[in-house]
Amino acid sequence: MSSITNIVDIDSELATQSPQEILRYALENFDNIAISFSGAEDVVLIDMAYKIRKDIQVFSLDTGRLHAQTYRFIEAVRNHYDIKIDLVMPEAAKVEKLVKEKGLFSFYQDDHKECCGVRKIAPLRKQLLTVDAWITGQRRDQSPGTRAAVPAIQDDKAFARPDDSLTKFNPLANWTSKQVWDYIRANDVPYNELHDEGFVSIGCEPCTRPTGPGQHEREGRWWWEEATMKECGLHAVNISK
Amino acid sequence: MKITMVKKIFADGSPCKKCGEVEDKMRAAGQLERIDHIVIADESNDQSEGMLLAAEHAVDRAPFFIVERDGEPAKIYTVYFKFVKEVLDAETSEEDEIAEIMNDVDLDFL
Repeated sequence: MSSITNIVDIDSELATQSPQEILRYALENFDNIAISFSGAEDVVLIDMAYKIRKDIQVFSLDTGRLHAQTYRFIEAVRNHYDIKIDLVMPEAAKVEKLVKEKGLFSFYQDDHKECCGVRKIAPLRKQLLTVDAWITGQRRDQSPGTRAAVPAIQDDKAFARPDDSLTKFNPLANWTSKQVWDYIRANDVPYNELHDEGFVSIGCEPCTRPTGPGQHEREGRWWWEEATMKECGLHAVNISK
Repeated sequence: MKITMVKKIFADGSPCKKCGEVEDKMRAAGQLERIDHIVIADESNDQSEGMLLAAEHAVDRAPFFIVERDGEPAKIYTVYFKFVKEVLDAETSEEDEIAEIMNDVDLDFL
């Protein structure tokens, strides 16, 4: 599954398919696969997956800094679908060390990377060591600068077990925010009440704010940091075979 | 075993910061000597050796490493800490590994 040829070939096939078809492919080809649920509009993945397979594995990163509304929403989703949602938490000792040394809001002075490293990346790594594949709600329209080329399926080299592979599915890659919301409304999918308060992208409480008309959703996250392009990508326009 | 490192220069001729950082780190650790061939992916020239290798191996990040062993398909590493751990048998700290991931991953979907 993880050879480059396979992934590229499968992606070119999945690229034109609907999120439900991509999810079906993922769930039929991997038993040990989990959905990463952020507590925002990626709830559509749970709704779609649940209609394919009732025993879906779902996890959320509980950074300890989420909005109360998000915690309530995660609980509502758990009850609505009668599924188990694993709340994955950071290592207490690492959080304590960070807070002791830098306080509770160091990300406003430095940047969000250190805090996200402790509260998100470290627990995510640990969680992903337990699965063969994972599913995210990444969409291309979420960040035109850094996410314009998100594929439907990818070989996740960053989080793979040593000398092993991890497959990552992004079923919503080609969908727009509007399509997601049309689906939520058409299917009576529960959603985070913060969306009704102007929040589009939802993360930790101190690092998320509502966005106004005309603002891109990314302007509601880490807004005090300069929005720079990731520089490690090789521009796809130049990588034609 | 043959190891090729592909590093990038931007279309305006400026060097890729991460590629420079990785190269410096490898030089300091004496790991650069283990690299057989260093190739440039020039974003202004899609026929440059590095861009052709990126296309051949479907890689969209830099730097990356191509590890070729007799009788085996080439293995590609786009994550530095994985490369040094798995190929060069070097130690890396969890902090460094997380810092590298943080540079490459946009976290708003988590």
